[in-house]
Amino acid sequence: MSTQQGQDAKFFQRGKIEEFRAELQAAEAKDKKYQKRKTVLKKIVANITMGNDMSPLFHDVIQCIGTPLLEVKKMVYLFLISYGRSKPDQIHLVIPSFLQVSSSNFSRMSDHSNVLKDCNDPNPLIRALAIRTMSYIPIPVVTESLSDQLRHCLKDRDPYVRKTAAICVAKVYTADPRKAERKGFVELLRDMLIDDNATVVANAVAALSEIGDRQDGVIFKLNLTIANRLLAALGESSEWGQIYILDSLLRYVPEHHSDAEMMAERVIVQLQHANSAVVLTSIKALLYLMNYMENRRLIDYICRKMGPPLVTLLSSGPEVQYVALRNILLIIQRRPTVLKNDVKAFFCKYNDPIYVKLAKLEIMYRLAREENAREVLAELEEYASEVDVDFVRKAVRSIGRLAIKVEPAADKCIESLLKLIETKVTYVVQEAVIVTKDIFRRYPGKYEGIIPTLCENLDALDEPEAKAAMVWILGQFADRIENVDELLDDLVYNFLDEPAEVQLALLTAVVKLFIYKAQSEVTKALVHKVLKWATEDIDNPDLRDRGFMYWRMLAMNPSVAAEIVLAEKPAITTDSDRMDRGALDQLLLHTGTLGSIYHKNPETFIRNAAGRELVDSPALNANSRAVLVSLTRPQLPSTAISVQGPGPIEPTRPSLQPDEAANKTPQPILVESTRSDERDLLDVEGDDGAGGDSGDGYPDGDDDVAVVKAADPYAELGGAFGGYTTDAPQPVKGGGSRSGDLDDLLF
Amino acid sequence: MAIDGLIILDPAGRPIIQSSYSCYPTAYPMLHIEALNNALEKAPRGGSVDPVIYVAELSCSSACCHVEVGGMRFLATISEDADPLIAFAFLDTFIEILHDYFGTVNLATLKDNFDIVYQLLEETLDSSGHPLTTSQNALSDIVLPPTLISKLLASVSPSATGVPSGRQGGSFGLTGASGAFASPIPWRKAGVRHNHNEILFDVVEDMRAIVGKNGMTLVSNVFGKIESNAKLSGTPDLTLTFTNPSVMTDCAFHPCVRLQRWTRDNSLSFVPPEGRFILADYQYKPPQGAVISNVPIPLSLKANVDMGEFGGTFTLTLTSRSMKVMENVELELYLGEDATSAQCTLSSAGSGVGSVGSADGSWSFDSRKKMLRWEILNMRSSGSWILRGSWTSKIKAPRPAHAFQIRFEIPSFSFSSLKVDQLRLSGETYKMYKGVRMRSKGSLEWRW
Repeated sequence: MSTQQGQDAKFFQRGKIEEFRAELQAAEAKDKKYQKRKTVLKKIVANITMGNDMSPLFHDVIQCIGTPLLEVKKMVYLFLISYGRSKPDQIHLVIPSFLQVSSSNFSRMSDHSNVLKDCNDPNPLIRALAIRTMSYIPIPVVTESLSDQLRHCLKDRDPYVRKTAAICVAKVYTADPRKAERKGFVELLRDMLIDDNATVVANAVAALSEIGDRQDGVIFKLNLTIANRLLAALGESSEWGQIYILDSLLRYVPEHHSDAEMMAERVIVQLQHANSAVVLTSIKALLYLMNYMENRRLIDYICRKMGPPLVTLLSSGPEVQYVALRNILLIIQRRPTVLKNDVKAFFCKYNDPIYVKLAKLEIMYRLAREENAREVLAELEEYASEVDVDFVRKAVRSIGRLAIKVEPAADKCIESLLKLIETKVTYVVQEAVIVTKDIFRRYPGKYEGIIPTLCENLDALDEPEAKAAMVWILGQFADRIENVDELLDDLVYNFLDEPAEVQLALLTAVVKLFIYKAQSEVTKALVHKVLKWATEDIDNPDLRDRGFMYWRMLAMNPSVAAEIVLAEKPAITTDSDRMDRGALDQLLLHTGTLGSIYHKNPETFIRNAAGRELVDSPALNANSRAVLVSLTRPQLPSTAISVQGPGPIEPTRPSLQPDEAANKTPQPILVESTRSDERDLLDVEGDDGAGGDSGDGYPDGDDDVAVVKAADPYAELGGAFGGYTTDAPQPVKGGGSRSGDLDDLLF
Repeated sequence: MAIDGLIILDPAGRPIIQSSYSCYPTAYPMLHIEALNNALEKAPRGGSVDPVIYVAELSCSSACCHVEVGGMRFLATISEDADPLIAFAFLDTFIEILHDYFGTVNLATLKDNFDIVYQLLEETLDSSGHPLTTSQNALSDIVLPPTLISKLLASVSPSATGVPSGRQGGSFGLTGASGAFASPIPWRKAGVRHNHNEILFDVVEDMRAIVGKNGMTLVSNVFGKIESNAKLSGTPDLTLTFTNPSVMTDCAFHPCVRLQRWTRDNSLSFVPPEGRFILADYQYKPPQGAVISNVPIPLSLKANVDMGEFGGTFTLTLTSRSMKVMENVELELYLGEDATSAQCTLSSAGSGVGSVGSADGSWSFDSRKKMLRWEILNMRSSGSWILRGSWTSKIKAPRPAHAFQIRFEIPSFSFSSLKVDQLRLSGETYKMYKGVRMRSKGSLEWRW
């Protein structure tokens, strides 16, 4: 960089305050075309961008504010934005420059520092710049002076000024919410929702959304008329404007199925937008509206329409791919028909960055079903031979999970795991052992033939999880492994040095062994040794308690102990690693946000986020309602101001206040009847697609269970995606009954 | 929905330019920079850092989204209920704007023009995180591109102070600016004039495919783009029709395209922006009912790789299956972290005349990236090229990648055979020059 002596690069040296001050003063005397001031200010701004403190020059710089050269003005404004806040005692010096002191005579002032009253400058750019700069300085004296000016600018004839003013309102609101409400800014903003200019509309929406997202902000809701007008403005908006508008549709609560359906049809068109953020925001709006629909065919159609644009996102750069993939993972859990046949789109390429590969891998597993299991398995085998350790491990583990998820593919998966164990690559073997344990539980009595192969690789295991899994296998099948006592005896050799996970497994395993082979002296000695260690030499309370428990059981009544220890285990499934539906519904309101990347609701990990909830209405489908998660807004403003849309108030949908909306009790009968209609429709068509889905459909536990779970949706979120360890298969809940009719997630 | 700000880091990870984080503690941007630098340091190989890094320090938690351009890192910090995709879309747009302003984006140009970059930052991103004006047409009026500034500096004289003449800023394009914003079409300013009116379309199709060990195509997708360059006066209303629009599926359009018209009759009706823009993205899928649902791959590779101890040997045969000449065919194989050297010989076979020589290609081994590269600049139809060689490795059982990366270009060709029917102009009376060009390229992963 030293060779590139650019004209401005020299400004990057650390500035000297005094030097700049002197230069500025010199410039006042004889400054042709303001070039001197411009040069000095440029140096000063350069220093600000580098993080050097230029605030001592405050007084000198603001002298230049009257310079009628836009470039100079801009730099003074940049300076003010940086330091205005820290100079509350001097800021009043600048205010007159911003403001028009007397409206009849704004063109000329005698004082040279107040030459131009920028807020009334004939140039709209300067008017906008002036209010924008002022709104950046959250000092009461500035905000106070800004109020009137801002009100004028909100009604300025120039759309550039109006759109800038709209955003400024949000800042004024941030500075003092209650005051901004009293001054009627929120209503003014609301009126801008029907402005002629699409950009102004979009910015008004952005400002209202920002206000509405604050925990202490007014509630921003849309009624049907306004929502439709916003949609009409979509076509002329910039991509950013479209994003604001589409996102604001989530503030509209449909009262009738038809409203939601009509609106969705208008949003679908936006899926053809070139901007990835617009596409994902459209999908978010569609996912939301689908909660309020009843037309099954339309829902199906929308799901089909959402697939291709999601796949197209995968042709973008790796950063966009990553965000898209994390969102796809959420979407397909709630709407399994989306991308159902597109598993190939998620095949990993060798050159994909590791974060993309891992995200793709998880989606491949979710999309795997009987029809595509062969292809998926072939891919997973390919990945298991790659170089990246992390990726290889997850590929191996996915093979095991595939076996558990898709029964007809289990044989092939086991074959493949055995081949991998033959490679003797230690981390591959360890992963294979871990998943094999789960496969044994899922298919009892089917694959135990491979246990000898596993035992051959005992020495390769050095990670606690793999070791514990192997120990579990030894204990569980102690009656079928000939030299099991030798093997376990070897393993307990270092008992006291093992991690707790392995110690627990060993303890249980030797107890099982003892129950199987109570006659053997070797076994007796072994179990005695381990129980003694566990209860006397170990500090870990879990281990000690378990040791005591086993010991007493064995002492009091060995046959009952056998029944308990060797009791039949509930079958396991991978279905329950899916997220709880209520939580999913809620998370999907955050599609495309940080929350969707980390799979947590923002208010749980981001301070100040207001959170979003699915709002009940007569149109909300019954299944969503059953798992509804409601949020409480902790600090509602004491004087709740509800902002209604401009234009005529619709008599049927006055429920702009959330309380009212919540009080509206849905009519269960109506909902019930429509539901049965749908089922009829489905039967007539002989649509087996829904039945096919049920395989990986929502595990339909008791409704009660679902509701109870929904009360604390975050409880399970932390673990659900943390890693494959917590993502392990779980016992089937609710007696494993998965009836076909409620199962599919269409509603 | 908010981007807190944008920071540009030099290759050493030091900030060059950052937006004013005026509403945040001073440590705020630093924490994000540190989080990114730490993550980059920890990364085993450069580039494989999560693109969204969560920053948990400080009481307010947020994240930074970053992309690399010309050795620099552009990072957007986001917090609250923000959309990382908006951050990335904004970063892309911003970098695109820098390209338009300076031609190239590198450390030197940014440092030379930091004041313009800073102004652009202020214009495009509001302090509460809303992207503002990003349309090239409007921006160039508010923030003058460097070439214009130097031209104008000589001619501008500061007019009488304080007199609201309305003409005062005229030479600075100020009246034009309000024109741009007042224009009912956000992507086009009013009153553009050209002596010579023309619009050019470049149809570029990009094949991405994975071929399995057995030579069967696992996945192949063709993504198309219609890149346009318009220099048209006034408010031209164009209608572009195709003879076979059905080959374009899953289309995504520039905001100027009237989506309803496309839905109705598959014609592209639009008022174009000035200059370069991407009119449409699409995917080409072969007609339904075809025996093979994949688009055929225009070349084939036969790879024999024998792995031995401390290295291996290989014979690679590339055969063109394309009717057209393929250019810049490039094949890469990562030979593993422990690879030390490679030796190869080139030959060609089939369709007669080919002789060994530089015209037929060249190979190289990048000892830093451990990458074997084979390039064939010009690959005539149905010829074969052979690369034989061996490589050495420091370890006994070498672990090369099990996939070749192949890239190619085919000029004047499209996979989809998309054909423009006609381009009609309404709303203006002048004659315009129209041009359409086709071009294809591909990147394949070929496993062995």
